[in-house]
Amino acid sequence: MGDTAKKARHHIIVGSGVAGSQAAETLRECEPDARITILTLSSLLFYNRYDLPKVFRGHRDWREYLVYPAAYYRDWKINVRRCSRVAGVDARRRVIALDHKEEIRFDTLLVASGGRGYIPEDLTDFRPLMHGFSSYTEAMSAANEVPKKGHVIMLGGDMIGLDLARTLIDTRHRVTLVAGPNTFWPHEVDDDERPALIAALEKMGIEVLEGADAGGIVSIEEGARGLSARRVVFRDGTELYGDVVMPFFGLSPSVEFMLGSGVDIERGLLVDPALRTTTEGIYAAGDVCQIWSDAERRYRFYYGWKNVRAMGDLAARNITGSSDPWVPAQDEKLHISGDGKIQSPFWEYA
Amino acid sequence: MGEIKPPPEATGAPAAQPSEYLSDDPRDIGWVKQNVPCQTACPAGTNVPVYIREIIERQFGRSYETNREANVLPGVLGRICSRPCEAQCRHGWPGNGEPVAICHLKRVASDLKDAGHRITERLYSPTGKRVAIVGAGPAGVAAAHDLSLLGHDVVIFEREERAGGMLRYGIPEFRLPRSTLDIELHNALRLGVQVRTGVEIGNQDGQMPMSRLQQEFDAVLLATGCMAASPLPLLGEWEKRELRSMEGVEYGLDFLMEMHRGMEKTVGKRVAVVGAGFTALDCARVAARLGAQEVTIHIRTAEEYIPVTPEEIFEAKREGVRIKGLRTPVGLTAEGNRLTGIDFVQNRLGGWRNNGRRQAIPIEGSEFHEPCDTIIIAIGQQTANDYLGTKLELDRWGNVRIGVDGMTSHKGMFAAGDYVSGASTVVQAVGHGRQVAKRIDAWLMGRERRKQVVRIVPVEKPLRERAFDFIVRQHMPTAHMDERMRDGKHEVELGLDEKLAFEEAKRCYLCNLRYQIDVDRCIFCRACIEVAPRNCIKLVSGVEIGEDGAYGKLLETKEWNQVGAIWIDNNECIRCGQCYTACPVQCISISRCELTEVEI
Repeated sequence: MGDTAKKARHHIIVGSGVAGSQAAETLRECEPDARITILTLSSLLFYNRYDLPKVFRGHRDWREYLVYPAAYYRDWKINVRRCSRVAGVDARRRVIALDHKEEIRFDTLLVASGGRGYIPEDLTDFRPLMHGFSSYTEAMSAANEVPKKGHVIMLGGDMIGLDLARTLIDTRHRVTLVAGPNTFWPHEVDDDERPALIAALEKMGIEVLEGADAGGIVSIEEGARGLSARRVVFRDGTELYGDVVMPFFGLSPSVEFMLGSGVDIERGLLVDPALRTTTEGIYAAGDVCQIWSDAERRYRFYYGWKNVRAMGDLAARNITGSSDPWVPAQDEKLHISGDGKIQSPFWEYA
Repeated sequence: MGEIKPPPEATGAPAAQPSEYLSDDPRDIGWVKQNVPCQTACPAGTNVPVYIREIIERQFGRSYETNREANVLPGVLGRICSRPCEAQCRHGWPGNGEPVAICHLKRVASDLKDAGHRITERLYSPTGKRVAIVGAGPAGVAAAHDLSLLGHDVVIFEREERAGGMLRYGIPEFRLPRSTLDIELHNALRLGVQVRTGVEIGNQDGQMPMSRLQQEFDAVLLATGCMAASPLPLLGEWEKRELRSMEGVEYGLDFLMEMHRGMEKTVGKRVAVVGAGFTALDCARVAARLGAQEVTIHIRTAEEYIPVTPEEIFEAKREGVRIKGLRTPVGLTAEGNRLTGIDFVQNRLGGWRNNGRRQAIPIEGSEFHEPCDTIIIAIGQQTANDYLGTKLELDRWGNVRIGVDGMTSHKGMFAAGDYVSGASTVVQAVGHGRQVAKRIDAWLMGRERRKQVVRIVPVEKPLRERAFDFIVRQHMPTAHMDERMRDGKHEVELGLDEKLAFEEAKRCYLCNLRYQIDVDRCIFCRACIEVAPRNCIKLVSGVEIGEDGAYGKLLETKEWNQVGAIWIDNNECIRCGQCYTACPVQCISISRCELTEVEI
């Protein structure tokens, strides 16, 4: 082993989404000799989750979604270990434990595990009857269940869901939105803004039912034979029939494997403006971290493709010696354009 | 290893089988304490592996009795225990999965035992000594039970109308059905314990003076718990303001106690609960049942660090309760005398406090406001000593100081439970009540009458299969949301049925099984090492010896010329039995080691 190899640090990135992949690229640029490993639960290489609504337009080949070909990782000497579930992190020993009992040592760790679709605790019993949309596999599963011009019942209605709804309407599907406090997440919408935004959704062709007006959801059931596949029952007796029920209540940070690691967590991993966690050598980027905002005097999440990519880039630069602070890369304002359509910066991606 | 004794004739423990023996060797006691982490973590010392094994054998009544030897309220603690055992369970150690649902299995023993189950008690002859216990909470009841078994006449004085203390007045029925509580209290106190309810100790009219108890009884045990709500420390104009008189302000424990005494309680539409313990969570869930539309628990640190089980947090969230972290209330807002909101300051996480909790450090200039109609303050409880009429030595936290003999600074006056430790948990109170009962007995009788030993029983073959290691933790079935909210009392956790219980019980590693290699017979073929699923069988050059003489850290070696022995690291061992099966010369033995008590 040569001197260079001896000195090369091992950077591990947990997560192969926008933040993790951008971080790997920046790390390679900044530290050409470093050993870079991406651990991902996914069986696919980095693919564009923002493009997933296209499965409803008939684009079902997973290769269409890959951001880089496999050769890219070889050329950039980035080792991607797919289908790898991280079981825990021992910050003191600088070791990551994988679910299959393997341990991997790291010099620096970047947690970019993102978030998964949040399901309110009162609906978790019905999880098997709902279709998620946070991965290619889930998107395909939902697309396979919805017939042509089929009916999608969308719960919550965050901006990921509403983006899908735009496609579904465009592809002549029927969409019923059960709106609630998470509608338009991650935008924070004032009570006086909400009616106009709901009206804009209805103008798009989405049928909107305010969940609270019907007393909230009591159950989600399989539909009877000859009827739609799913039935959503509300406390006031209202029933909705649809082909699939899809929850869109925002994201819940994937931090479980960090519990007990010594890194401070509130909902996400708490990081300073340089994206350093409270444990030396461990950074976080993307939807998994809460960044301290000097301006707002609180820890907060920043969502959106541009923000997440910028976080991946910043974390990598800081891992390799910089000490730059986080600056949001996109605005957060939801608005209605002149033609009456909803416009969100969270729908913009390269 | 260990002093081998023939089974004594008249021990308090069940008669030993011919092949088993009792050891009082500190090394054996040390082995159990080190290797059975669940039992060591249990303040009552519950023999967890044994009662779980009995569930596997479908001996539910026996399992209940095993529980009852350490804790007289298995059905109660099987529902509301804070589960320090599960935090230490070897199955929950990194790489091993989730801890065994020890608490749920305790409830299984209680729920699935026969309806006509016969309770076993080992009674001592009457001593003629009289003991007064002040407080019929978990510490008082546990102590009363043990003292009555030891032959003393016990009278409990309780100011409330019914016995149970915090269990009856502080814990909502949807977590602890009163039918279960009533049965177990009755069983604990039926051996002649007199319970005088509605009797308040104090020096005012209508109260029983403490001096009278001291005159009429040989010993007095104070077990009045922590029943005074801690005030909310606010800043500025709110610092010295009396909050109780404000409309919309409740103190958590008082709120629950008044409700359980029969008072009709109401809350506003937006309820803010301040606090991070079981009381805070209970208050929030009660508020949801009382019709609050928005219930939020505000905590100083983060969910990960609050001393409540994840299941309780999950169930609270299912009921619509939200938890917001990293905030400390610094003031209130009001219109006239009516509460309208809370001013908070944002926190960051600090270091660890001595009690194992995280510190929260307020961030200057980060104040913010949240509106609410009701605040329930549940940040802790304190002891009240004003009823004593006499001054006892207190510690720096204002709790009564006791010596190693359990006695306060007044001769013959003992104290136990939260009254000594400050607000803790039910299982801690039960455990401490039992400990102090033993001290009282020793003081009254002039000697210890029971001592701890290890019962060592040879086991013919492994009691587990490797496949058991892959069973996932069984989830507790819960009541439907509509049923929960219907009358506010419907029990949320429904209990494991026999099938679920059996699956869950199989997950237990049975850490009380000691696997040992007879080095003299070992041929060092490495067959056991090859089949071991973990790094649990080691080539060692030596072993560190602990202060109690118990074996400690193994000094591993990979050099054959330094190998002194091949050793099973019982700390790593998951008792799968693979090594036992693979050994070609049967040099591996298994023995069950369990702590028990015998008469001295």
